Amino acid sequence: MPARILIVEDSTLVTDAFSILFSETGYDVDVAATVAEAIERGTANTADIMLLDLSLPDGNGLEVLEALRERGVPPRATLAMTGHDDAKTRRICLEAGCAEVLLKPLPIGDLLRHIQRHLA
Amino acid sequence: MSMSDRLDPAALKKRVKALEAQAKEAQSTIDELKSRESLKTQFLSNISHDLRTPLAAIITHAEILRDGMLGELNTKQRESVRGIVNGGQQLLDMIDEILTYVRSEGDQIKLARTEFSITEVVDQVRMLNQPLAAKKQLTIERLNGDDLPPVYADRDKLRHVLGNLIGNAIKFTSDGGRIWIGLSRRGRNGEELLVEVGDSGQGIAREHHELVFREFAQVDASPSRPHHGTGLGLAIARKLVELHDGTIWVDSELGKGSRFFFTVPLDAPRG
Repeated sequence: MPARILIVEDSTLVTDAFSILFSETGYDVDVAATVAEAIERGTANTADIMLLDLSLPDGNGLEVLEALRERGVPPRATLAMTGHDDAKTRRICLEAGCAEVLLKPLPIGDLLRHIQRHLA
Repeated sequence: MSMSDRLDPAALKKRVKALEAQAKEAQSTIDELKSRESLKTQFLSNISHDLRTPLAAIITHAEILRDGMLGELNTKQRESVRGIVNGGQQLLDMIDEILTYVRSEGDQIKLARTEFSITEVVDQVRMLNQPLAAKKQLTIERLNGDDLPPVYADRDKLRHVLGNLIGNAIKFTSDGGRIWIGLSRRGRNGEELLVEVGDSGQGIAREHHELVFREFAQVDASPSRPHHGTGLGLAIARKLVELHDGTIWVDSELGKGSRFFFTVPLDAPRG
């Protein structure tokens, strides 16, 4: 069964691009635009990888990870995606349990490599 | 003003009132300017952030096409899509430069100082710029520095400054030219590191030496200028050097190349 990637991001421009990228490279793709939607999706189908945007319309992306943990259905790895490359954001994400903090946008080759590494 | 005027309490009172009114007006002008300044900073920060998202989508789509994920492209198609990726990447770099500038203006940049080898960082930045330099048959060499003690500074910030200076040198030096990095000690006890980034490029007229470090300033600001950019690179470099209590300056003449210098402390403060 292909690995499942949950994309949590409120810009449809970005999720459209990612959906094409991941489905073309053989993954199952799920998309959520809000914290609430991400919790619902992530609970219905446990994700292998969650790509997590930090600023969502109804709250902070890290709340999603916390909620999925509490429900006992955390993704195998959560990769936070942020536009700010600062030490504080990085520390907060890692402390919250993200496996990695990626500065977006990163070249698709790099993104795919990061994902493969966490699935291995 | 006559003697009697000066001593007249009523006139004095009137004068004090007038001065108070003037002071109040000046204060309100200052407040107004401050709030406009912070509005400008906020605006730049927001717009840079909002520009990144659609740009990220454009670059991702173009990369998907370029890498043949939706079917192989012919040579011309691939070249064209590569142009989209490269152009997008350049635009992204410019937006990031604006964001860095905004943060440095808002005093949001804090230094994370460690001890490290400056020659290592110089060589990293040289390597990183090698492909760009090779396109113009430029050489980038480090002249010396192997005997220097470690510097005590923020490694990423110095890398940024060096990257900016070397990037500019590549941009403004014509094909086949030379770029060099010289390192030496300075100060009474050699407590400072002096870094020189020199090039055999077009040079900068004396009257523009100050201007190049000013934000949004470009020596050639005409729309037809051959080199585009935000005009923020050197303003950021200066800010980052000054955060280290260092100084940055340029020595150059038109047509005779440029030598940019900056200083940073070498050792961690004792005690």
